Amino acid sequence: MKLAGNDMLIQSLINEGVEYIFGYPGGAALHIYDAIFNQKEMQHILVRHEQGATHAADGYARATGKPGVVMVTSGPGATNAITGIATAFMDSIPMVVISGQVQSHLIGTDAFQETDMIGISRPIVKHSFTVDHQSNIPRIVKEAFYVATSGRQGPVVIDVPKDLTNPDDLFDFNYPDEANIRSYNPPIKPEENQIDRVIEALKNSKRPVIYAGGGTIASNASNELREFNSYIKAPVTNTLMGLGVYPGTDKYFLGMLGMHGTYQANMAMHNADLILAVGARFDDRITNTPEKFAPRAQIVHFDVDHSSVSKIIEADIAVFGQVKDSLKSINEKLKLESSYFNKDRFSDWHNQIANWKDAHGLNHDLYKNIDDKSPILPQAAVQQIYQTSEGRAFVTSDVGQHQMFAAQYYHFDEPRKWINSGGLGTMGFGLPSAMGVKLAYPDEEVICITGEGSIQMCIQELSTCSQYKLPIKIFNINNLALGMVKQWQDMNYEGRHSSISYEDSLPDFSKLVESYGHVGIKITKNSELKQKIEEAFSINDRLVFVDIYVDPSEHVYPMLVAPNGSLENMWLSKGKKT
Amino acid sequence: MIERQLTLIMENKPGALARVVGLFHQRGYNIDSLHVDPITDFKPYEFIERELNIKFQKNEVSRLIIKTTVGDTLMRQILRQINKLIEVIAVSDNDNTYLKGILRDENLL
Ligand SMILES: Cc1ncc(C[n+]2csc(CCOP(=O)(O)OP(=O)(O)O)c2C)c(N)n1
Ligand SMILES: [Mg+2]
Repeated sequence: MKLAGNDMLIQSLINEGVEYIFGYPGGAALHIYDAIFNQKEMQHILVRHEQGATHAADGYARATGKPGVVMVTSGPGATNAITGIATAFMDSIPMVVISGQVQSHLIGTDAFQETDMIGISRPIVKHSFTVDHQSNIPRIVKEAFYVATSGRQGPVVIDVPKDLTNPDDLFDFNYPDEANIRSYNPPIKPEENQIDRVIEALKNSKRPVIYAGGGTIASNASNELREFNSYIKAPVTNTLMGLGVYPGTDKYFLGMLGMHGTYQANMAMHNADLILAVGARFDDRITNTPEKFAPRAQIVHFDVDHSSVSKIIEADIAVFGQVKDSLKSINEKLKLESSYFNKDRFSDWHNQIANWKDAHGLNHDLYKNIDDKSPILPQAAVQQIYQTSEGRAFVTSDVGQHQMFAAQYYHFDEPRKWINSGGLGTMGFGLPSAMGVKLAYPDEEVICITGEGSIQMCIQELSTCSQYKLPIKIFNINNLALGMVKQWQDMNYEGRHSSISYEDSLPDFSKLVESYGHVGIKITKNSELKQKIEEAFSINDRLVFVDIYVDPSEHVYPMLVAPNGSLENMWLSKGKKT
Repeated sequence: MIERQLTLIMENKPGALARVVGLFHQRGYNIDSLHVDPITDFKPYEFIERELNIKFQKNEVSRLIIKTTVGDTLMRQILRQINKLIEVIAVSDNDNTYLKGILRDENLL
């Protein structure tokens, strides 16, 4: 079969099983868009800004485990995609971004809409390709998907000069069955003797903690993790990226750890004698001061990425390979030794943790006893959303206090349901990523818990939701300020609130969304909270935007004391430290 | 902190060198000196061909020699980060050699 470059590119995506392309056309991508027009297998979703395309593809990838696909034009199209690529990179999300480029003979001449996309994106991609000849397009696309989805996953850019997509130049098209990159060889099988060492360490431990992160989700190892803990029955904490990989309502679950982690999770980590890090990377939001991190613990680290192990915290035992494979092999062995762990070996440890939880655990009943004398607590709003959606929704979020409240009070029992920008912390992520999730799962409840600051960073996508009829639910935790910044200013700058207020400039969100054809609901009183959230959930054929006015003075607690703090040094409420 | 020499074998492809140099900057490491040339004599690298079951062709791969001044822990990080670059086939310092997916605790390059 002979095809032109533009058709080759599109046919290659079809061969990869792509359902949706999130993108925005322009000069350098015109031939490619013509090829999109001429096919029916994939749907192109026209966003309103290329950042929205990358986040939507990212949300699709996080929810499904399949790579998200983005198409942008050269120059401004490419640069607008950068924030979303960086977001995916920081959270190891598989994504393939195709950027148009000026014609080959113009490269380097500062041509109209020319930008060095490969150069600009280099530090934030797993790898990138420049198409140098049409006949290489199938191989490059195959390799791009392989690199994006294997090993430690990540975004891959393919930059395509316009002349190489010219519809008049035909070449042989053969799509390869598999990619073969001789200099790329992600580790697969864990080493047996390392697994034995982990079991040995477990047998010697009295205070173990499983600390599982996003890598466990990326590796689709949630079931293996649950099986693993069915043998050893240790307390489990999840990172912000890992929520849902272990059931949030399980009795062994401690909640999230780290900067805004629960008291019991941080205390358990600090006092552990053995930490089993599973697909987690000891981010600075987890460790606080690395020198003071878990002083008595032996560290076991399961990870697919060599360079993550002993990067921040030295590992005593490292198990390289896909977390899923490593847990499978350890489970095989533990199965035979289950009697060893069966007598609830760790009951003293569990009791200690229960005491911590009783002393300073989160109050999950705030939504119950409320009256109109006090303003709505943002925590209560999230709790009510959790109750009404029965904990089963996909929840995307943005960045700020609302994100932390969502992570603390919405309990995820399944992986891939909590979708947020953990690594880069990108405001603007919530709405477009919810679009990607809703397209992937049209029959599931998809909600976005956002703030009035964040939502305005990609609010143009309300129009996309209207075009493609995406009935997601947006809960705007409206505290009239860049709340998280304000919290830091309260705590570290004696309450000098520099540039965190919009003064009187916020739009009437209900009117705004109604102008797009969506439904707007406003909640200002505690007595309306339950009923109006229920009303929102009763509407299933339209996007609903629920603007919830919450107490603007609320802070997120616990909060690690920094700098120089350890995991046991926390602020528990205003003015009160551990 | 001592000066160390790193040797890399990588695909001779456009942009590959920029990834290595960029990585040093991105991760906050300094390059004291850098030397690149295409490999013409593969004799010393036959073990790579054997180990990875590949065959090098003339001018297809380059050798990079980089000098940098760092401590031990950082050196290990640099090696592992470089080894992650898709176009790098092998990297070695005085003590360790990383072939793709395989670590050898001796300097083979
Ligand atoms: C793109 C971007 N710019 C700036 C920041 C820094 N930042 C983190 S949280 C935050 C405030 C967010 O305000 P809002 O969305 O209203 O959430 P709130 O904290 O009030 O719940 C800011 C500005 C960021 N994370 N992302
Ligand atoms: Mg706010």
